[in-house]
Amino acid sequence: MGRWLKRSVRGARIRRVEGKERGKYCGHYPIGLLFDLLASSSALPWNITVHFKSFPEKDLLHCPSKDVIEAHFMSCVKEADALKHKSQVINEMQKKDHKQLWMGLQNDRFDQFWAINRKLMEYPAEENGFRYIPFRIYQTTTERPFIQKLFRPVAPDGQLHTLGDLLKEVCPSAVAPEDGEKKNQVMIHGIEPMLETPLQWLSEHLSYPDNFLHISIIPQPTD
Amino acid sequence: MAEDPESSLQLPPSTAAEGEGPTEGSPETVTPEPPSSAAVSPGTEEPVGDTKKKIDILLKAVGDTPIMKTKKWAVERTRTIQGLIDFIKKFLKLVASEQLFIYVNQSFAPSPDQEVGTLYECFGSDGKLVLHYCKSQAWG
Repeated sequence: MGRWLKRSVRGARIRRVEGKERGKYCGHYPIGLLFDLLASSSALPWNITVHFKSFPEKDLLHCPSKDVIEAHFMSCVKEADALKHKSQVINEMQKKDHKQLWMGLQNDRFDQFWAINRKLMEYPAEENGFRYIPFRIYQTTTERPFIQKLFRPVAPDGQLHTLGDLLKEVCPSAVAPEDGEKKNQVMIHGIEPMLETPLQWLSEHLSYPDNFLHISIIPQPTD
Repeated sequence: MAEDPESSLQLPPSTAAEGEGPTEGSPETVTPEPPSSAAVSPGTEEPVGDTKKKIDILLKAVGDTPIMKTKKWAVERTRTIQGLIDFIKKFLKLVASEQLFIYVNQSFAPSPDQEVGTLYECFGSDGKLVLHYCKSQAWG
């Protein structure tokens, strides 16, 4: 338990979490995402209840071993590269490179991880960014698990799309109207990036270790 | 008039999955939905009711995994990969303990709670989502 709590790194994964606000949550979501979504107003360290017995088989995915977590992590990385590079970069890598990515994450080895991950953040010189941006938008107020769609980082005229552009396109209810009151916080890694931030930049610098931008839309806290 | 064997059949509702006899849904000729904005420019916001439409899925067997007699299915967007796995296992009469893996683009295995509608939006082409299924890990 202590080992998991020491992981203030947002890429950490945990088996099952009970938040004060919600009953049970997907055990394979990054813990930083869960915190933003469920408990962002809580003080750190975040007190969670980790259950080792009575697994709710019907509600949650089973996570019997580290191998399963590794397989899920690698699948996310592959899915992200399918969007960014039509899988070309991840497929050109050797099995040992994939392993290094996982081991770097598992052992908190930043340099080991980024030696491989930096290749996943590159794009051809003639382009201005990735083919599509890997993102998932989570809201506690809807039934859907998350929103994920095709979205290009660069407009046809060469302008870089921003975070605000993305939200207007795929989740317009999250963005306040021009002169309206701000109803929601748009949060990544516990911070609210400016909506003018280019999405390409966010994808390169603020993605989780699985190469996805996990974005939480939460109600603006009342003072 | 002979029925087209490849016509989209309705996937039985997920509530029918557990503990019931094999139901394969009533054979219906369903007009394939027009392709959505998959794999093109960022789509416009989905019209209300779009989430109710079904999407076409084409299932392809890998290696020596049994081939399904019916490969093309019309599936609700909200159906999860796990739901699809359970269905295929039942259809192929696999034992519950046998594993089944599903792959997109012959490259990654989506997480079991992922909705097929999302996968169709991102990885569909020609109005359908092609999924490969295998009893062993085909693509790692």
